[in-house]
Amino acid sequence: MRKPWQPRQPRDWWLHNPAYRRYMLREATALPLLLYTLLLLTGVYQLTRGPVAFSAWLAWLQTPAMLLLQGVALAAALLHAVTWVALVPKILVIDSDRLRIAPRHVLRAHQLAALGCNLGLIAATLWLLWPVGGH
Amino acid sequence: MRRSHEPISWSLFGAGGMVLALIGPGMIVSTLLLPWLAQDPQALYVSFSTGLRHPLGTCAALAVVALPLYHTAHRLYHGLHDLHITGPGWLLGGFFYGGATVLSALCAFWLLAL
Repeated sequence: MRKPWQPRQPRDWWLHNPAYRRYMLREATALPLLLYTLLLLTGVYQLTRGPVAFSAWLAWLQTPAMLLLQGVALAAALLHAVTWVALVPKILVIDSDRLRIAPRHVLRAHQLAALGCNLGLIAATLWLLWPVGGH
Repeated sequence: MRRSHEPISWSLFGAGGMVLALIGPGMIVSTLLLPWLAQDPQALYVSFSTGLRHPLGTCAALAVVALPLYHTAHRLYHGLHDLHITGPGWLLGGFFYGGATVLSALCAFWLLAL
């Protein structure tokens, strides 16, 4: 029978070390990001139900609770993006005989990509939806 | 030998993490701005539903919903372990990865129903 060794670790192991607290905060970003993804999923569902339901969904996005959720999710997404991109050069190691790219270049490329994609998406939203006079 | 689900779940976790890092903050700012910018919700409904009916739009929307679902499910599943919340593996794994799969399938169904 398998009897795995059970290390004794206090339940609050992560509370007493700043590095562990940062780790847990990074992992905790998953919760608001999950809730935000569910918000997007409800938007897809309301789209299937027609224009009236979709307008109601747009109005629902402006309720205090949903604004709070989006605000927390934005902070979580920014923390996630920064820490995720910082980890990329540790996971994506390009160091073979045929191709060798220094980790700092891998990091810089992903930083630029993340900045460009996020700002590009916001710019596209503004450009496509900027009020062009009364409809 | 029993196969591990780890390569599949880690790939989906990695892809979802990349999607969230590349366009997560931009998406959230966009949905924050959306109700204020949308002077005509009807016109926005028409452009969204036609855009998402295009195969590229369908795939993009599915990626933006399904991959972050798998990513966050993976993180929360392992986060429970960090918090010493234990339970039968099939139950916790089924809840998180199964939940992400069911919601992704629902998203695909709704997108195809548009």
